[in-house]
Amino acid sequence: MIGYITRRVLVSIPVLFGILLVTFVLARLIPGDPCKAILGEKATVETCERFTKLHGLDQPIYVQFGLYITRVLQGDFGNSIRFSRPVSQILVERLPMTIELAIGGLVLAILVGVPLGILSAMRHNTSVDVATMIFANVGISMPVFWLGLMLAYVFALMLKGTWLWLPPSGRLSAGLTSTPFYEAWGWTVMAGTAKAKLLEFVANHYIFNALITGDWTTFKDAVRHLILPVVALSTISMAIIARMTRSSLLDVLGRDYVRTARAKGAKEPRVVGRHALRNALLPVVTILGLQMGGLLGGAVLTETVFGLAGVGRMLFEAITARDYPIIQAFTVVIAVAYMMINLIVDVSYGFLDPRIRLE
Amino acid sequence: MVTTLKRAAEAFAEQQDEEVLLGSPTALWKTALRRLFRRKTGIVGICLVGFMMFVAVAAPVLAPYDPQEVLIGKEKVRKRAPPCIHLLGCAIEEPQHFMGVDGNVRDQLSRVIYGARVSLSIGFSTVFFAVTGGMFLGAIAAYWGGWLDNVIMRVMDVILGFPSLLLAIAIVAVLGPGLRNALLAISIVTLPAYARVMRASVLSVKELDYVAASRAIGASNTRILLVRIVPNAITPIVVLATLGIASAILDAAGLSFLGLGAQPPTPEWGTMLGSERNQVFSAPHLVFFPGLAIMITVLGFNLLGDGMRDALDPRLND
Amino acid sequence: MTKLKHITSVVGVLAAMCLAGSAGAFEGKSLAAPNCDYGGKIKSIEATDQFTVTFTMCKPDPAFLAKAAFTPFGIQPEEHLDATGGGGEILGNPIGTGPWRLDTWARGDSVIMRRFDDYWGNKPKFETLVIRWSDSGAGRLVELRAGTVDQITNLSPDDFESVQNDESLTFLPVANPNILYLAMTSTFEPFDKLEVRKAVAMGIDRQRIVDHFYPVGSEVASHFTPCSIVNGCEGDTWYDFDPEAARALLAEAGYPDGFKTKINYRDVFRGYLPEPSLVAVEFQTQLRDNLGIEAEVVVMESGEFIDESTNGRLDGFYLLGWGADYPHVTNFLDFHFSAKNPQFGNVYPEIYEVLEKASTIANEETAKPLYAQANNAIKALVPMVPIVHGASASAAGAYVGNAHFRPFGAPLFDRVDPGKDTFVYMQNAEPISLYCADETDGESLAVCQQMVEVLFEYAIDSGAVEPRLATECAANDDATVWTCTLRQGVKFHDGSDFDANDVVASWAAGIDAKNPNHKGNTGAFEYYSYLWDGLMNAE
Repeated sequence: MIGYITRRVLVSIPVLFGILLVTFVLARLIPGDPCKAILGEKATVETCERFTKLHGLDQPIYVQFGLYITRVLQGDFGNSIRFSRPVSQILVERLPMTIELAIGGLVLAILVGVPLGILSAMRHNTSVDVATMIFANVGISMPVFWLGLMLAYVFALMLKGTWLWLPPSGRLSAGLTSTPFYEAWGWTVMAGTAKAKLLEFVANHYIFNALITGDWTTFKDAVRHLILPVVALSTISMAIIARMTRSSLLDVLGRDYVRTARAKGAKEPRVVGRHALRNALLPVVTILGLQMGGLLGGAVLTETVFGLAGVGRMLFEAITARDYPIIQAFTVVIAVAYMMINLIVDVSYGFLDPRIRLE
Repeated sequence: MVTTLKRAAEAFAEQQDEEVLLGSPTALWKTALRRLFRRKTGIVGICLVGFMMFVAVAAPVLAPYDPQEVLIGKEKVRKRAPPCIHLLGCAIEEPQHFMGVDGNVRDQLSRVIYGARVSLSIGFSTVFFAVTGGMFLGAIAAYWGGWLDNVIMRVMDVILGFPSLLLAIAIVAVLGPGLRNALLAISIVTLPAYARVMRASVLSVKELDYVAASRAIGASNTRILLVRIVPNAITPIVVLATLGIASAILDAAGLSFLGLGAQPPTPEWGTMLGSERNQVFSAPHLVFFPGLAIMITVLGFNLLGDGMRDALDPRLND
Repeated sequence: MTKLKHITSVVGVLAAMCLAGSAGAFEGKSLAAPNCDYGGKIKSIEATDQFTVTFTMCKPDPAFLAKAAFTPFGIQPEEHLDATGGGGEILGNPIGTGPWRLDTWARGDSVIMRRFDDYWGNKPKFETLVIRWSDSGAGRLVELRAGTVDQITNLSPDDFESVQNDESLTFLPVANPNILYLAMTSTFEPFDKLEVRKAVAMGIDRQRIVDHFYPVGSEVASHFTPCSIVNGCEGDTWYDFDPEAARALLAEAGYPDGFKTKINYRDVFRGYLPEPSLVAVEFQTQLRDNLGIEAEVVVMESGEFIDESTNGRLDGFYLLGWGADYPHVTNFLDFHFSAKNPQFGNVYPEIYEVLEKASTIANEETAKPLYAQANNAIKALVPMVPIVHGASASAAGAYVGNAHFRPFGAPLFDRVDPGKDTFVYMQNAEPISLYCADETDGESLAVCQQMVEVLFEYAIDSGAVEPRLATECAANDDATVWTCTLRQGVKFHDGSDFDANDVVASWAAGIDAKNPNHKGNTGAFEYYSYLWDGLMNAE
């Protein structure tokens, strides 16, 4: 087990290096320089000369890369060109939003997708099967921004004044702020330390933070703001999870031990629930890992439509603004998260399925 | 998804290797097709895809106007006018536009019809490139093994490590906006999935008896690869490719929506959505119909792919 | 009795003199360029006494007041600038004299400000001002209609009608002068031929574009500069639409059947170009139908587009425009037609020499014939084709009293009365930083100016400037020395007093490249550099 994990981690390192290199080069290949991208049509030639020198962008690429790698190894991701703030700080502020969104999306997708898949498999090849599969697939076939605006229109506009009303964008209502748990509990934290950053990172998960401090106003407000984006985002995974559950269950239902159970006279729900389901859900666990990673990175459109300050949207804006430090750091962080999630999934698969031994 | 396909491929290979030695691969396909037609989801999928392909092929006949024709000065019709259907009560003097008129005063129905051509060719060509490239890389990685396998798979890992939409955006940003570059970007981003599946399939059949037998009688590596291995590995690829067409159409629409794919005045559904996104409340018909077209097409390919997967899995009972 | 009164009064006077003396004499700071060779407009800025600042210019600058009222030239306390070094912390924590003070900047989400109770002027009627943002016009309108925000910016042109017809909303036209132009880079063929450029000038039906793609209130451009700007519309009006004459000219130039080229643009919403892709296709259609010119529509990504177009590297047509920064004709003409600007390819002394002369003349009447001459030269040489001055509009809830948009600058939210305690304004995007000396985006400037004040301020409904932190700025005869008398009794948000040294320190941090507080965000201090023709002591 330890050996397996170590080997996986070791193999990931060259891949991470490759990702960092590709991002570095790709970002600089995009035509147009950061100065004009950031200052726009009002920038003059002299201003841009000064700007480029200031940010070390006039040096040859391999020099820039070398400097960057040495700093990253010391934990310094550099400063954003656009905001002149440490990239790690921006990450601490934005990653929790995307994590909350992705987890919410995944949970909802599972809660709806798995039952749909089971239903579809059990009534396989009937109109119920077709209907559930079409329903699950419709979500995945719709452009996310369209769905988002439609949801906003219905819940924020049409249902205005009713108890069903939901806010169309943002994370909290105007004027409301979230008090970090360490402040609420009276801890003293030294600003600027790694520990402070870690605490801030945790506290920026508003829903979790509100839960542990017992702040019900903020909790309810944050949850309400997250409902529509989570619904929109979950449609993407829902279909895949439903499909996966269905085909895996069908697959298992055709196996010998299930036939044996049926032959012994067991009723169908017992067959499904006791024998088939547990085994059928194993492959679904693999999918969860892939989906989580995909949701983390692919939430760009959802974050844009609902005005959520997450990682995907910042990355897209950074590409437009040629903010190289942000592009590099965010991509690497997403990639690392993706790899870690997959590693956890594979290891837990080893625990769950006794036939698989991780060599 | 990849794991199930892998297992399906293995199971398939085990069960069918006899058939392959003795019979031809076409017999297996005939069975598969029969089973596909018996599945309701497969039928719905085939109908939808068939319908879209018909629309694409018959576009010049079906479309009432030229999709690029600007009607200012030719017809008395307002920019972004809502649909006018005479049968449903629209005045006879008004020119008929089933899906209304777009922001540049062009007939939207014609643009949506021609859009089928653009979207379907996007789907097919992207998948074609991704599949060919992926199969090639996966096959040689699995067959030759060793350091070549390692290098190719690490490169695939690097590509897969990026969030796919963002990598596609970055590639298009480098190459410049445009349909061709968007296609290339999507192909690159989706290629690793096919490479992996191909590699897994090839690995599982590589050591089987009949391959050893072929080698024993002196067949060359290429011949073995092409004649014995590839036809067996192709099954999971076909399913993946069908689903891939669906996601390629969605990805291309997404890129066009962001302004990075098809450029105006090309009638591509994603571009049409993108240019009218701010009119979703004042002119919802301009957002509804292209979105609906995307949904129907993508749904069709998704259902078809699902149906094929079921049909090709030998363990499913009817 | 009288003797006692006499003694008390003497003692009183002596005491007063002692107190005044012990308060310490005022040490005025100053900043000066070694000489005027650096090319910039400012020679020195001096705090001549506690409440007087003198600006000495290298060249006469009649637009001084119009420019100095611009947000980047806001005043922060000298001590705050020194403490933060003009960078880092100050980007997220500005200290100003304005009616609002910063409470929280919830990054990515909103900026929350509270009423400053020691404000020198009229205090706002409500307690909390919140700024939020959304980049979709439809999204902003949904929020306004849902009641989650009280005022929004940049309505989509198609929504104008529904907002005007909606009784629960107030339609707010935004009178910011702007211009859309169809540019040609004359260093590329065939745009190097004057006949070709003239043919294009006559071959575009600009009225049709305005009628179909621009909201009501937009007008076809008679000159490059909008007529609301003084001396903007002097000289002959632009060519009329005449496709036959245009075709004849094109044939004369050797292109009777037109030619193939490109039309480049970026898909970014601006008041002068609210629907870029539609207008680009419209130009393509007109060029083909009227002149036989086949122009391929090319969308470019914004950063790249700006880079390529402003450096004159685009082969073909391109669509770009300009929104006014300050209410003066130099903001339009001088930026675009100066000798240093490569965006249209060749530069023309017939235009830039006249402009250079006109920019030093203080009296508007005297300068008028020179601007007429410049405009005529622009018409004759056709570096670009001016198309339209675009109207834009915004909206607010009908319950908001005194909802407004100024033609220059952001709304003054302290004048607004929402009838409740919190007012929410939704703009296009998040501010990049709150230190506006070093920002150029409207979203940052809009937020800064609620907190940090300038010497003068743009009026609510015109381009006139009104006193703010300065009660008066008097110019000498040839506009080379401006003496500004500052307002007294003004306090900063941190309680400190406002005086002339704060003015000098704030300007110095921006305009003097060698100043220890010259750090900012990008380090570019773009508006200092471009409005005053360069930074002092820059390498």
